[in-house]
Amino acid sequence: MNVPITLSKDSREPIYHQIEKQLKALIAGGHLAAGATLPSIRVLSKDLEVSVITTRRAYQNLENDGFIQTIQGKGTFVAQIEKTRKEKTKESAVYDALDTAVRTAISYDYNAKQIMDMFTSILNEYQGGKK
Amino acid sequence: MQPFINIEHLEKKIDDFTLGPIDFLIEPGTITALVGDNGSGKSTLLKIIMDLVNADKGQIDRFGLLEKEGDWKKDLAYQPQTVVGYDAFTGEDLHQLISHWYPTWDEKLFLHIINELHVPLNKKFGKLSQGVQQKLTLALTLPRNAKVLMLDEPTSFMDIPSKKIVVDLLVDWMEKEERAIILASHQAEDIKKLADFIVLLRSGKMLGLFEKESLTEKYRKYWVTGLPGFETIPGEVFRAEHEVISNQPDLSEQYFAAHDITPMNSMTPDLEEMITLILANKMDM
Repeated sequence: MNVPITLSKDSREPIYHQIEKQLKALIAGGHLAAGATLPSIRVLSKDLEVSVITTRRAYQNLENDGFIQTIQGKGTFVAQIEKTRKEKTKESAVYDALDTAVRTAISYDYNAKQIMDMFTSILNEYQGGKK
Repeated sequence: MQPFINIEHLEKKIDDFTLGPIDFLIEPGTITALVGDNGSGKSTLLKIIMDLVNADKGQIDRFGLLEKEGDWKKDLAYQPQTVVGYDAFTGEDLHQLISHWYPTWDEKLFLHIINELHVPLNKKFGKLSQGVQQKLTLALTLPRNAKVLMLDEPTSFMDIPSKKIVVDLLVDWMEKEERAIILASHQAEDIKKLADFIVLLRSGKMLGLFEKESLTEKYRKYWVTGLPGFETIPGEVFRAEHEVISNQPDLSEQYFAAHDITPMNSMTPDLEEMITLILANKMDM
């Protein structure tokens, strides 16, 4: 099975962490349901053009965090995760995205009011149905 | 886990060319690409591992067995860049001959490869195009069910769709049991999609064994104007006009900030780009 993971060349985040985070988001967002088969480490490594060491590290962390489950000889599957856990993961994904946006704004010397205004205007565009 | 192959202090002199010293391990479950410019010694190294050429110094431990002891050849399937002696035979003749030599021959896999790559079995090998010869040779090598596969430029003459099929065939082959592949290749796509480790060779000298991401992940490429031309910035390992590659992005970025420089672009460099710079000796390692 193919999973929509895109590695960023712009980000300085380690690759295993990018894989881990995007898979978590797919699982928490319900795009990958409990029981769904994940690609093998070798296949995902080929698709993402990374080494099996990197992919294995991401899978191991996901397994430790209870997001996926490997059954010897059968493959790797999405685990059953509780609703609160899903909510928390979603929340932290949004938090991280906003954090990155704010950091970018600060690096360009925007002040709190300018950032707030920009944020409000983007939010309004979505609510007004323009986006 | 015990490595499949352990190469220690290997050296070989051929006329005025010296290969080595070479040191690396091949562990089960891994794909290692030998990458180097033409004449860097990749093919010679594979032949030494296969015991077709003798080394002057050093030793190779294969599956826990030292040179010439025991029967390791069935566990090592080798596909040379050019096969000698196939020309007069048809694909079917070769299939009969080779499958007979290998008791663990996987007939199903052979038929699968022939089918996927559309290889005609009724024509003489010598009459086939180089690309089709490579396809047939691969079909005669993979089903041997060896532990380690050594491929010397297996896809160099193939078209793009066939190369993609071969990558998938090799990925599939790796899924079964504990296996390993050593791949000598100039094909950037093959290296990117298959390799876990890269052994870089420059005119016979081994520059190192690198985990693939280590050649890119710790580096950062900036496009930046306003740099002093005479001074090397912290972390700088390469510069060409406005392009700077750094192996210590934190220090480089501190320098940019302190000198009021804003890079227009900042990204992880490509594997191909890094390999090119290292092999051309244009980068401080």
